Amino acid sequence: MTTTTHDAADVLQLRGIRAGFGSQTIIHGVDLDVAAGKVTGIFGLNGAGKSVLLKVVAGVVPTWSGRIELDGADITRLLPEQRVALGMAHVPQGRQVFPSLSVEQNLRVGAYTLRRRDKRRYDGNLQRVFDTFPRLAERRRQPAGTLSGGEQAMLAVGRALINDPKVVLIDEPSAGLAPAIVEDLLEVLLGVRDLGLTMLLVEQNIRFGLRLTDHACLLQKGRIVYSGATADLDEDRLASYLGVGRLLSHDLATGLGRKPPTPRPRVRRGSTSRPRTTPA
Amino acid sequence: MQPIVLGVIAGSIYALIALGIVLVYKGSRVLNFAQAEVGTLSLYATWWVSTKHHQPWALGALASIVAAVGIGLLFERLVIRRMMTAPRVTVAVATIGLFSLMLAIELALFAGTIYTLPAPIAGGGVQVAGVFVSASQWLALGVVIAVALALAAFLRYTDFGLAVQASADDPVAAQLMGTPRGLISAFTWGVAGALSAVAVLLIEPTVGVLAPGAFSGLFIGGLTAALVGGLSSLPGAFVGGLLVGIAEAEVKAHLVLASVPSVQTTAMLVIVLAVLLLRPQGVLGRRA
Amino acid sequence: MSVAGTRPLPVVPAARSARRSRLSPRTANALTAALLFVALPLMTVHAMPKLLQQHDYLNLDVGVSLAVAALSLNLLLGYAGQISLGHAGLLAAGAFASGIATSRWHLSMVLGFLFAVVISAALALVVGLPALRLRGLYLAIVTVIFGLVMQYSVLRADVFSGGSAGVALPRRLWGDHVSTDNAGYLVAVLLLLLAVWLLDDNVVRTRVGRALRTIRENESVAQSFGIDVVRYKLLAFVLSGALAGLAGAMYGHAIGFVNNESPFNFNLSLQLVIIVIVGGLGHRLAVIIAALFFWVLPSFISGLHAWAYVVGALLLMVTVSQHPDGIADLLTRRRRPPAPAEDEDDELPELPQLPVPVRSHVAAPLSSAVPVLEVEEVVVRFGGLHAVDGATLAVNAGQIVGLIGPNGAGKSTLFNAVSGLVAIERGRIRYRGQEIHQLRSDQRARLGIARSFQQVGLAKDLSVRENFLLAQHQLAAYGDLEALLMLPRAARQEREFRDRTEAAIDALGFGPLADVPVRHLSGGQQRIAEIACLLMTAPDLVMLDEPSAGMAPAAAENLAARLRDLRDVLGRTVLLIEHNVPLVLDTCDHVYVLDAGRLIAAGTPREVAADQRVIDAYFGAAVPA
Repeated sequence: MTTTTHDAADVLQLRGIRAGFGSQTIIHGVDLDVAAGKVTGIFGLNGAGKSVLLKVVAGVVPTWSGRIELDGADITRLLPEQRVALGMAHVPQGRQVFPSLSVEQNLRVGAYTLRRRDKRRYDGNLQRVFDTFPRLAERRRQPAGTLSGGEQAMLAVGRALINDPKVVLIDEPSAGLAPAIVEDLLEVLLGVRDLGLTMLLVEQNIRFGLRLTDHACLLQKGRIVYSGATADLDEDRLASYLGVGRLLSHDLATGLGRKPPTPRPRVRRGSTSRPRTTPA
Repeated sequence: MQPIVLGVIAGSIYALIALGIVLVYKGSRVLNFAQAEVGTLSLYATWWVSTKHHQPWALGALASIVAAVGIGLLFERLVIRRMMTAPRVTVAVATIGLFSLMLAIELALFAGTIYTLPAPIAGGGVQVAGVFVSASQWLALGVVIAVALALAAFLRYTDFGLAVQASADDPVAAQLMGTPRGLISAFTWGVAGALSAVAVLLIEPTVGVLAPGAFSGLFIGGLTAALVGGLSSLPGAFVGGLLVGIAEAEVKAHLVLASVPSVQTTAMLVIVLAVLLLRPQGVLGRRA
Repeated sequence: MSVAGTRPLPVVPAARSARRSRLSPRTANALTAALLFVALPLMTVHAMPKLLQQHDYLNLDVGVSLAVAALSLNLLLGYAGQISLGHAGLLAAGAFASGIATSRWHLSMVLGFLFAVVISAALALVVGLPALRLRGLYLAIVTVIFGLVMQYSVLRADVFSGGSAGVALPRRLWGDHVSTDNAGYLVAVLLLLLAVWLLDDNVVRTRVGRALRTIRENESVAQSFGIDVVRYKLLAFVLSGALAGLAGAMYGHAIGFVNNESPFNFNLSLQLVIIVIVGGLGHRLAVIIAALFFWVLPSFISGLHAWAYVVGALLLMVTVSQHPDGIADLLTRRRRPPAPAEDEDDELPELPQLPVPVRSHVAAPLSSAVPVLEVEEVVVRFGGLHAVDGATLAVNAGQIVGLIGPNGAGKSTLFNAVSGLVAIERGRIRYRGQEIHQLRSDQRARLGIARSFQQVGLAKDLSVRENFLLAQHQLAAYGDLEALLMLPRAARQEREFRDRTEAAIDALGFGPLADVPVRHLSGGQQRIAEIACLLMTAPDLVMLDEPSAGMAPAAAENLAARLRDLRDVLGRTVLLIEHNVPLVLDTCDHVYVLDAGRLIAAGTPREVAADQRVIDAYFGAAVPA
């Protein structure tokens, strides 16, 4: 994947975003900067508005007021598909792939806007996705619904990457997945991170999220109450904002600041069934 | 053998209606009650062009298809697009409204007079297995197969076709991949309109007369076919149409019970009921 | 057909002001209804006898019959959420039944009506059976088939109609006395409409209506409230069928003759659905008004041009696309609550000590020797996945017992197994020594087991008040027939339920929010309402699935105090699933830890917290060392 590095530090900028449903305001004036080449995470309790915020950025939920810029361009009023054409990509929550389409067809749908612009570049990108995830190449004609959970996660990520996106939005990747698959997904995402991609992640599972992100934002009742480097997050802060308590501190003490120090090799193994107890 | 030949011809036209029902169901998760009636109203365009103004049948047929596509697009833009989050039963009522509108316009403009159309193609027919199959019926069979194959190829091999399929799986996820959701919705309703017009155009020579609501029976046959095929499978709808056509012809040929009125219709309905209760996913459906 | 843009339903303010008067709501409602349905039209009829021609009477009679038919469908579609696109078949059955009774058997019209009710109710029961298996579009198609089979086949059979010739429906009073008094018949049908309205009122006001509306919204929530879903679905069909039969007979005697084609065809079925949707699902007054508009208004416009139907169809589409919730939406929109204040803190008020209801069953006496709940070697499997894999635990009376474990450990599945929402493959579940794993979930609820759901387990379209009433479903000792007729026992118990509900609303300070649909409340308020609902039945065992989810830390601390109240003040036994570990450590007497469907540790909170296996499993080797 080509890394779209820009001199401008922030690929995505949110200023004073307000949004909600009906008469209910859910997002109360959020400012957010997503730095190029970094992984930014939004964390918060159930109902804090994380997913709504991500949907606002995606354009699925309309923005009431405020301004969203993607790489300097105002996208506040654009349709979701227009934002994709400008370089946004998504790894949606839940059923992440189109089950009735084959692996390759899924990737083609993911490259819908790219193929309209430049079909030849698509061929190259497809090859790169298959190089990154050889498992997908093996199964390119298989309906995506018949893939294993780990393979579906690879497909969902590969489908987001094939467009050469400027920023990838990832919605609750661990939600509703079996623990073993969450591990596989983490593996895939860590690999992608090392490619230098810009990502914005919304996650309920803090342990998962902290391992992946460079920058963390804590969302509470539709407002950002903390924003800073993930490494600076200490247990007290987390506990006070999220109500994550004593036992978890143990986890944080061992987990925080100990992100894998060496750059990971590209995800080649495409493993699906590593026992989750295996230490990394 | 005789019923099978007749059944395949009638069934192929049911298949067209079923394809339209399935396409709309996949796209909007709603049963389109107007699937046959849009084509019926549009057929008066053919009458206007071909009978009243003596133009070739093909030109009139084109006018009818254009009209039906227009109706489908207008309905999608003005009603369906505004009801994206409404309960599906309410959207179904909107399609009942479209059905009523079509029928009311037919009654208001064309009731009381007999309208006839020229034959699609001149020439006699051929005897097949003891059945006379007219040239128009051959045309119908050929057109249905061509239309179904073209639709299948379009959905399978073009980017837009794949986007339509992805949208049927999950419309929001498809939109997040950059596929144009509004255009896809419009496409399904437009194509459904065209399929409706083609089906009515092809069955008209067999019925022989054009009158308000004359082809409403097509809807029941098409719906049965769509259900037999599992409601969300296009190949299933096609095969379902043929099965329904053949079953109907067999019932007509063999089941004659004077004591039970309308035994054929009843038998068809009982078949549907059995399919629904025993295999809700359709005879060819995949999900268990 | 013009419904959308006409005058705004003049009757509603009357109904509302009546409700505010000192009369009991029920009496006021009955009086309002009587005024509306009988007095006003009668006054009109008698004041202007010259104005009404015979066909005007006919139109009014038919309009009223349609209103009853619409109420019948509203009960099924609006309350219970079960669609019928073959309602004309039920009306036809009623009309034919009454016709045969009055014209061939020379019975009185009264008996004809009764016969119609019985026949259509029985038929509706048969139509309802597939509803236990099918839903949505598929159910709709089954009902279409029913309507068509009636139209094309059954009603054409010689026994019923002599071919397609049809059946005459004389207005026979007794013997050879046949009435020709048009005003008299109009009064009769209006009285019948009034009776149906009152019956509908009784449905709405008792557990029958609450059960139906909950089923419409979410069947698993209904089950968790102890509602027997199968039985109430069938009851909805039977009731709706009975009313449809009555409507058919009213219709038939109005026009004096019916055959299978007219008017009981597919179009009538569609028209009824349109009326109910345009009026607004479940809003009976709007439905009646829609029915009258659809029939009476067009029929009084003389020389109705064919284009009127075109306009009508257009109006229908405009109405449903602009007001998907029906014209009743215009009325309810004003009742929406103000948006909750922005920085509202979700402080949980103290839980009320509610009056203990009289139990309809005799429970074994509580003894400390037998645990309240025993789970023994329980296995639950989904496909190849062992969600619960031989878990064993016991919950002693008067304790708060915690169940913790990582996501996907099988905690909620175990809850489902205990409350009866999933079947267990092996093992035993005992409640106070009695084996319960063969019982349905509503039977278990009736024994005194109450549970909450992770995604708030309230009926979200209903108000707090309705949810509190709903929560007492299983306490009702009255039968459904008693409820429909509002016999003394049903009325008395409903009063008790209402009193307890009001007490709970006051105690929890829900006052101004009590009539707001639950979905508009904040997460914390919903959680309070949910816990209060669990207490409405005075259960012995309260099972809570992540009660602190989505709560701010302060509110969660407050929750701990409320949980202790449950145990210490109210004397309940609590089984708790929680991710909020401090909450568990602070409140629980005993903790079980589940991982991958198996129990990996048990003991006091302190012991469990120190257990290395727990630390590993809960926080996981997922953390790179």
